[in-house]
Amino acid sequence: MKKYAVLVLSLILILSAVSFSSAQWTRPENLKFPPLKFQPPNPANFRVVLANGLRAYVMEERTLPIINITAIINAGSLYVPKEKAGLDALLSECLIKGGTKTRTGSAIEERIDFLGGTLNFNVGERTATLTMSVLSKDLDEGLDLFFDVLMNPEFRDDSLKLAKGRLIEQLRSANDNPSQVLAREFQKVLYGDHPLTYQETKATIEGLTAADLKAFHGKYFFPKNIIIAAAGDFSRDQLKNKINKYAAKWANKSLSFPAISQNFLQPEPGVYFIQKKINQGYVSVGHLGIEDTNPDYFAVQVMNFILGGGSFTSRITSKVRSDEGLAYNTGSRFTYRWGFPGTFSGYVQTKSETVGYAISLILKEFERIRQQLVSDAEMETAINYYLESFADFFQSPIGTMVNFANLELQGKPMNYYATYLDKIKAVTKEKVLEVAKKYIHPDKMVIMIVGDWEPCNKGSDKFPGPLDKLGKIHRVKLLNPLTGQLED
Amino acid sequence: MIQKKLLLFLFSFFFLLSLVSFSSAQVKLEVKEQVLPNGMKILMIPKPGVPRVVCHIYYKVGSINERPGITGIAHIHEHMMFKGTRVMGVTDFQADDALNRQIDELMDKIYHEKYWKKDGDQQKIAEWEKQAEELMKAEKKYIIKDDLWETYMKNGGTGLNASTSDEVTGYYVTLPSNKVELQMMLESDRMMNSYFREFYSEKDVVMEERRLSENSPGFFFNEQVRAAFYTASPYHWEVIGWMDDLKKITKNDLIAFHNKYYVPNNAVAIYVGDFKPEEIIKLAEKYFGPIPRGEDIEPIRTGEPPQYSQKRMSGEGPGLPNLQIWFHIPPEGHPDIPALNILASILSGETGRLNKSLVKEKDMAIRAMAMSRPQWYVGAFTFNAIPKMQKGVKPEDLEKEIWEEIEKIKKDGVTPEELQKAKNKTEAAFIRGLESPMFLAMRVGRAELNRGWRSLLTDLEDMKKVTSDDIKRVAAKYMVKDNCLVAIYSRGLGR
Repeated sequence: MKKYAVLVLSLILILSAVSFSSAQWTRPENLKFPPLKFQPPNPANFRVVLANGLRAYVMEERTLPIINITAIINAGSLYVPKEKAGLDALLSECLIKGGTKTRTGSAIEERIDFLGGTLNFNVGERTATLTMSVLSKDLDEGLDLFFDVLMNPEFRDDSLKLAKGRLIEQLRSANDNPSQVLAREFQKVLYGDHPLTYQETKATIEGLTAADLKAFHGKYFFPKNIIIAAAGDFSRDQLKNKINKYAAKWANKSLSFPAISQNFLQPEPGVYFIQKKINQGYVSVGHLGIEDTNPDYFAVQVMNFILGGGSFTSRITSKVRSDEGLAYNTGSRFTYRWGFPGTFSGYVQTKSETVGYAISLILKEFERIRQQLVSDAEMETAINYYLESFADFFQSPIGTMVNFANLELQGKPMNYYATYLDKIKAVTKEKVLEVAKKYIHPDKMVIMIVGDWEPCNKGSDKFPGPLDKLGKIHRVKLLNPLTGQLED
Repeated sequence: MIQKKLLLFLFSFFFLLSLVSFSSAQVKLEVKEQVLPNGMKILMIPKPGVPRVVCHIYYKVGSINERPGITGIAHIHEHMMFKGTRVMGVTDFQADDALNRQIDELMDKIYHEKYWKKDGDQQKIAEWEKQAEELMKAEKKYIIKDDLWETYMKNGGTGLNASTSDEVTGYYVTLPSNKVELQMMLESDRMMNSYFREFYSEKDVVMEERRLSENSPGFFFNEQVRAAFYTASPYHWEVIGWMDDLKKITKNDLIAFHNKYYVPNNAVAIYVGDFKPEEIIKLAEKYFGPIPRGEDIEPIRTGEPPQYSQKRMSGEGPGLPNLQIWFHIPPEGHPDIPALNILASILSGETGRLNKSLVKEKDMAIRAMAMSRPQWYVGAFTFNAIPKMQKGVKPEDLEKEIWEEIEKIKKDGVTPEELQKAKNKTEAAFIRGLESPMFLAMRVGRAELNRGWRSLLTDLEDMKKVTSDDIKRVAAKYMVKDNCLVAIYSRGLGR
């Protein structure tokens, strides 16, 4: 991508002070680097359409005798109704273990293991992925297993029973880990009662049947609703022929996705406190964010890099961690989800008595980035980070194919990477200020804390309590994860 | 203060350059090696293509190099390596240095008053703390915050991190292939010219890191299990260290630690990616070459004495209940290790023996696995199983079952299919491990520091030779009651 922004240097300071030092230990700004040329790969060069409209992104990579293949299915937990919550988790466990029309789950797992391969399936929010890695000598057998699992799952009873047992045991401890509790409850407050936040219980899991899994599979798993990504030690033409043999026998269906509400009620701002007898408070401060298809996306990325996303170079990390020593883990993030606004939040985990103080520092940084232009140096670091690290997207061949497949599946522009550098370069200080004002709302903050009430509320010298200085206190009671009911 | 004499360009540079390639049927690993006259090793694995280079540097130092009183210091030191040098992170070194000396002097007095005396003078402490805080505030104007980190970031550094383990500390960055010189400059600078600013607030950060671990279910119990299992060797404590030591470790402890272990003859730098080895070598000569060799470092003295008794412990807390059984085994490189590693593979995984029997057939556990962890000096072979509470199964019930599995192996060994599967899995996993440049750098760099990177390949060959009789023999030798610790953790939300 033509010019890489060269470091703009202010070479004033320093050197004079370092008397003992020698040529090799000076400020790194003195270094001159040779130019670097890099063209991102073009998705069109890897795209193929196979029988029955099955699409694929395929890259030959013949240095190691390994094949990686992933099927990305346009389906996920979002389409699971409330009373069947947990169906996605059960499907994740049972697609392989439940066997196929001609093979038991154990036979499939035994064979993959014997070949030294891996085969995994996972259902996410809107996409499910089946991934396999095998040695190239085992390509044919691997593909046989891969497509058998994808096309013909049987969900046998024994596997369902075991998987349900496993899920219920995991559910039992769902309130034990403070970071897990915080992540879940924060989503629940921001999105309310919505398919994005439905929680499984012992009863919903026990109620699930093989017929439910088959119905879900039958509805969403067909060639036109799937994109394959493959990279490794094969000939592209041969791989196409091999996959075509399966795809040709795989009928398409007509599918209309359930309509999902896009309306989210603004929760009442203030402090949402969840009691847990631990020695730190785990904190998220934020509200709903944006989608990554928003035209302001790149400016928001740069803004958040400066605010709290660029690790040590960011303001929140620098202040809360480095200056004050209040936390190991702190910063801010925008999360993104396909088709729905993601979240914006600042986060920190700090000892109970400094919880209020750390939150106040984070809120101050939210306010500051909304009020003042960021500095030239901050802009330079953020922009150069994105420009100079760009080639990293393409380090892994299978990762690149999966990225391309996801762009297409989610209907995003296929020139996303081709235009990436220009879009980053176009972000200005003024634009950063504009998006900070537009997407950070101090008056809407949900401040969620998982911690021990007494010491958190008491605070310390720099921020004596009580916590209601930060907003109205809502005490959140956790549900018993097994029953989904309030505990007394 | 770090005082190392610089003998610039006085070395004559004799280099050993050799290209070594090892391969078996499918496995091929080519590493270019270079040893600088000061003992520093440079390893290179060229991978043409995407213009990025994984640049890692590994030091042969970790929590096993600590002693009671300074546990956790290897990790604190890793944090402090990001806090600047005499060149980086500071605008006026002389002025900053003067302030730092005053701060350290005050903090020394505070530590004496607080930690050396039974009832120290609280008033004095408060007064000195106030003075120290003022000085720290004054120092801020000379500090360039997170200078090294920011420099890496704005030059497109990714995978930027560092980690401390029991045996090794690593510093990581992946850079555009035209900027490897930046890593050489910054890493040689912090090996040679480190200067530890903001030490006292960074200790607070590390204490927060420890609290974060403490709040993860099962941490306290597992910390005790480890301490009970390793009684004499320095594997006794976790990498994070004991809280008492984190509080009391001093700046001087840190400087002594740095000067002993952060020397070129105790380090290996590894580069994986799109580069020309000649260029890497030239840069290494320029930047790492002038750093003087340090004293030779004595290996760890204390191993584990034989137990001659069974250890049992129990506890309860949040999280899922579980059963652990730990056995002492020899370290990496011992001839029994390949058989123990293969045995762990046969017992573990979805199609492993433990899962088949305890999860699928008997429906008593939701997970069951074994691990072989030989480590550098003393090893452990561990079993871990989570009981199915819905059926009223307790960790103790699983203990009985696992002993039965162990006895079966001692008596009947394993099947030819199991053996072949474990060997196939090991070899394929090895090849898969060559895919990611970052993972490859980690494996090769770490291996180099203990038994040389070629041990990765010879270990693989040794594993292929393991027989069922070997497995029977090692099971009988190590999996006996007076060589084990049984730990039973029950779910309880009392504390």
